[in-house]
Amino acid sequence: MITNEQLMTEVREANMSYLMLAQHMLRDDREQAMYRLGLHEEVADMITMLTPGQILKIANSNMLMCRFRFDDDVVWSLLLSHGQTQKTNDGINAHAIHAGILMASHACQANSIAA
Amino acid sequence: MKNKTVVGESRDIALAINLIKLGARLQVLESETSLSYERLLKLYKEVAGKSPSKGMLPFSTDWFMTWQPNMHSSLFLNAYENLNKSSDIDEIDAIIKAYELYVEQMQAIGTEPILSITRAWRLVKFVDAGMVTLTGCTKCRGHFVNHTFEIDDEYVCGLCNPPPRAGKTTRSREAEEI
Repeated sequence: MITNEQLMTEVREANMSYLMLAQHMLRDDREQAMYRLGLHEEVADMITMLTPGQILKIANSNMLMCRFRFDDDVVWSLLLSHGQTQKTNDGINAHAIHAGILMASHACQANSIAA
Repeated sequence: MKNKTVVGESRDIALAINLIKLGARLQVLESETSLSYERLLKLYKEVAGKSPSKGMLPFSTDWFMTWQPNMHSSLFLNAYENLNKSSDIDEIDAIIKAYELYVEQMQAIGTEPILSITRAWRLVKFVDAGMVTLTGCTKCRGHFVNHTFEIDDEYVCGLCNPPPRAGKTTRSREAEEI
C-alpha cells in the first residue's frame, strides 16, 4: 500500500527533477529547450533565474509543476502504435513521424493561440 | 553584405564551420556569411576534408510536396516556425537549431533524415518568398508544408490519407527484389 505521505514525497521529487532538468536544458540551449519543454519566453527566463533555494521551495508542494502536454487523443493513439508495423518499405515508421509533426505543430500552445 | 569587423568575421567563420559540419552546400555559406568565396572554399576543405559538391542547388518546390519528403519537411518547418516565433534569434540560427532538432528526432525513431540542411535552408527561403506555407490538416490538425495559394478548404495531409504508392521508392523496390 502506498501511503499518502509516500505519494507526496514522490510528487515533490518529480517537481524537483522536472525543475532542475528544465533549468539545465534552458541554460544549455535556451531556444531548443523552449521548444522541447513547450514554454514561452517569460516562464523560460524565470526558470533560468531560479536559485536552488527557490527550486526547493517551489518543488515542495502537493501539486505537480508539470502536466501532460498533448490533450489530443490522435497524438496518443499514434504514439501507442509506434512499435506496430505500418512501416513503409523504406523502414519508415509513418506513425512516429506523424506523431512528431502533430507534437511539433502544437509544441507551444500559447504560441499558436497568440499567432 | 554584413559587417566587416574582426568580431563579425570570427562569428561568420564559426557559423560557416557549423553549417559545413551539418553538410551545407557552398551556396548556403555564401549567402549566410560575408566571407569571400576563396576563404569559404578553403574552410570547406579544412572542415569537411573534401571539395564541396558542384552544381546548382535544387530550385523547385515540388520535392517538398512529394509524400515522404513532405513528412520530413513538415517536421522541420514546424520546429523552425516554433523557434522563430518563440524567441528573437537570427533566421540562420533558427534554421540550424531546428535542423538539429529534426535530425535528433529522426534518430530517436530510427529513420534516416532525408531532408538535408541545404534543402531545409531552401525551404525556409521558399517560405520567406511566400511560395510555400504550413497548412493545417482538417483531420489531424497537424501543420503540413503546402503551396501557398492552394485552393483547398478541406486539406487532408498525406499521412491521414496516404496515396496508394506511398513510400514505394526505387530503393525500397530494390531491397524487396533481393
